[in-house]
Amino acid sequence: MADQLETRARQLMDDPIALFDQSITQMHMIDRAELESMQRSAMSIRFQEHYESVEVLRTLADRLGVTGLHQFNDVVPLFFPHTAFKSYPAALLDKKRFDLMTKWLNKQTSYDLSELDVADCGSVDEWIDRLDEQTPLEVITSSGTTGTISLIPKSKRGARYNMQLWKMFLFQNFGEEPTEEQLNPVVDVIWPNHYKGKLGHLRVGQMIKTEFTGGDESRFHALYNDPIDTDLMFLASKLRAAASRGELDRLEIDPKLLARKDEFEAMQARRPAEMAAFFDTITRQLAGKKIFMTSAYPLMYDMARNGLEQGFKAGFAPDSAILTGGGTKGFELPDNFMEVIKDFLGVDTIQEGYGMSEISAFHWACEKGHYHVQPWIIPFLLDPETSEPLPREGVVTGRAAFYDVFNESHWGGIISGDEITIDWSAPCECGLKSVHIHHDIMRYSEKEGIEDDRISCSATQQVQNEAIEFMKEFEV
Amino acid sequence: MSNDRADFSVPLFIRGQLIEDNWIEFGGRGGSATFRAPDILQYAEQLPLRNPGEMADLYQVSFEEILDLLEQLGQALHFDTNTHVQEAFEAGLAASNYPAAMLRASYEMLPSAFSRDAVREIAEQRIGVDYLEGWVEQTLHDGRQLRIRAMGARALHIPAGNGGLVSAVTIIRNVITRSDAIIKAPSNDPLTAMAIVRTLHDIAPDHPVTRHLTVAYWKGGDTQLESMLYRPEHIEKIVAWGGFASVKHITQFIQPGLELISLDPKRSTTIIGPEAFASEENMQEVAARAACDIGVANQEACASARVIYVLSGIDAQGINNINRLGELIYAKLMGMPEYVSCKPKTFDRELAEYMDATRLDDTFYRIIGGKDLEGAVIVSQFDEPVDYPDSLKEELRDLLPLYGAQRLTSLGYACSPSVAMPQDAIEPLRRMCKWIVEETCAPDKVFPVWEAQ
Repeated sequence: MADQLETRARQLMDDPIALFDQSITQMHMIDRAELESMQRSAMSIRFQEHYESVEVLRTLADRLGVTGLHQFNDVVPLFFPHTAFKSYPAALLDKKRFDLMTKWLNKQTSYDLSELDVADCGSVDEWIDRLDEQTPLEVITSSGTTGTISLIPKSKRGARYNMQLWKMFLFQNFGEEPTEEQLNPVVDVIWPNHYKGKLGHLRVGQMIKTEFTGGDESRFHALYNDPIDTDLMFLASKLRAAASRGELDRLEIDPKLLARKDEFEAMQARRPAEMAAFFDTITRQLAGKKIFMTSAYPLMYDMARNGLEQGFKAGFAPDSAILTGGGTKGFELPDNFMEVIKDFLGVDTIQEGYGMSEISAFHWACEKGHYHVQPWIIPFLLDPETSEPLPREGVVTGRAAFYDVFNESHWGGIISGDEITIDWSAPCECGLKSVHIHHDIMRYSEKEGIEDDRISCSATQQVQNEAIEFMKEFEV
Repeated sequence: MSNDRADFSVPLFIRGQLIEDNWIEFGGRGGSATFRAPDILQYAEQLPLRNPGEMADLYQVSFEEILDLLEQLGQALHFDTNTHVQEAFEAGLAASNYPAAMLRASYEMLPSAFSRDAVREIAEQRIGVDYLEGWVEQTLHDGRQLRIRAMGARALHIPAGNGGLVSAVTIIRNVITRSDAIIKAPSNDPLTAMAIVRTLHDIAPDHPVTRHLTVAYWKGGDTQLESMLYRPEHIEKIVAWGGFASVKHITQFIQPGLELISLDPKRSTTIIGPEAFASEENMQEVAARAACDIGVANQEACASARVIYVLSGIDAQGINNINRLGELIYAKLMGMPEYVSCKPKTFDRELAEYMDATRLDDTFYRIIGGKDLEGAVIVSQFDEPVDYPDSLKEELRDLLPLYGAQRLTSLGYACSPSVAMPQDAIEPLRRMCKWIVEETCAPDKVFPVWEAQ
């Protein structure tokens, strides 16, 4: 019996899709007690593995005297703050000390990076490309305004696996076993974003390009064909930090980046034409077709409003898959923004999900608008001030924290900046048995009126422009 | 809106008239304390001095009389006997992050801040009393004779909420320059300016100085009020202390005729030379002085040292020395009296999270203390100076200003500035004045253009 539990726990960690027969219904109809004993076992095994392979975890566990995890709450003292992935000195990026950056990252990840060749590495993008080429990692970035960027050591395997999960949740229906077509959909992908980059959502785009189009990359339609440049985003982050300290006059621009000023200006100049071509594609060429499209709420709303104002409607096939999420990122949207989006797209339903870069799961919302927690993720609610765990029963609101048993490349325990509500006791009215999170999610920083550190995916364009405009003032 | 829930009240004082009516409620910073203040929109038209000619009464008062009045005001501001000041202290305690002992110490400095010697020094050193009292003659090389006078202006002040002294300085500067002031009270120090003007009103209700002081609270960024008030026909100068967002917000109202005197966001830094490690005695003294630069006023002041650069060297001995200095500084910080430096009331969560994350890996930084959120010293263990050009190590005084330095002081005195110095690399008092020139040109001395061939 114990052996069988361990086998299933192992499968939850390594291959949850197989464990649940490729069925999203099975994933969310498993008996809660049965799932929890599997999760506890998986958490315990993953901790032992990561204790050996992730140095920062070992340091923390040794300091706290933790040698094993048995109950869910045992993991709480080992949660990392979300700052963990930007805890390197910013000067290392400024001075291009990629040897030391690798040393830092090596302590965050379970993989051995000591053999990475960083010789002549001239930019952050180049360094991440080297990691892509030489290691199992696929690092994703997120940009902030405090002069640093987060670097999260995700794995290639995990990222690809996640795409399989996306496909399942996008095209299957809860309560029905999947059909062949749902398992292998081929659609046109509309990507109202930059073609690629190292930001989490842009990494996703590159995989969707092959996974969702049946391999036909001409069916991937990006708004902008230029990639997002990590070094430009790093400059944007430093720019905002320097402005808030009144030190813009002392900001130094990397000469190598400055030398590419013309390239960036040309990119800016191309955008209006690209935008027009994109609208033309989605409103003429793709009208009536079954498509997949995803982006954050504000971007999708802006696109819909723009299109409608110009007298366009996309009118896609009603069984198209449209996915959005990621909160409103501090943008003020009108109450009817979802109706505006639906009107433009010509669809009845838009799927919503909740996730974050640090964990390998997107929690899909059911018909009741509740986000159902994926079975390989153990959710926690913490006291927002003390980070002590709150009771796992009844309706509870607190700071969201997650332990991800699937994630292999870095320690999977993360405290978020989000306030969420979980109803632990009553089953969701939609009929699924999994733990569900209420629809209203707020960042604590928004709640407290503090300016958020993150440059969200919606603001990417804006901050990139700030950096380019700033560079324009300098002679190459 | 309900009024009885507010923790305290911030009345409105317009040029001698106290208004306690039409209350609306505000939440303090961080949502801790709430207070009520009169609905400013109902009094918006009374805030500006309609006719600048009404400032003429300020010139009926001599500088000596002003000194007498301020001295008398200072004597009336003693904490133990002045209930307005006591109220301001209680409100500041509820609304700010300052611990009681520290906040109280800032109020105990009020009487001396208004003393004759202190005020005269500011006026003499920063402007020159002669320019404030009358017309100062100069003759230029082309023969023209000038008479120059520094006169007041209609000013709006947005002081910082760093304890009691900033409001006092604001009022002193206004009085010295014979200006008309509207002071927007900060939400984290809502009553200090009010306490000072109410005390002044108690001792000299009809004095021109009292009748050119207005103190009001509104929520900063209230565009409805600000777009009515921040106009050249009402105000000539805005003196704004504060962070990037609030100063940036004000710039949208700046136009010809309305000047911004910006006391910007800034950071302070301490630089320690290698002499620190010459002897144990030196190291102890350096640690004690550095602890003052860091700890005074719990880092709430812009003058508090956020970063210390130590010329320790980067070999093993150098790293060892700097770690030991870090430990000594931490020990001195912990040993300071409570009114100088103590465990803060609240600790920035983001910073605490960064410290937690940094503790996981001691390759780059060592954190000394901080587990109890009492304050900490973080010692860099590697050779990259953070955000700071190496070249600044020599010729500091001549070079540092090129990189934005504004004030250079002895180790241990960062948080003990004098009010009689330039501030933020500008002369705010001189800029608060209007510098008027009256000139005489005699045709036999200054070339008469009308006789040009």
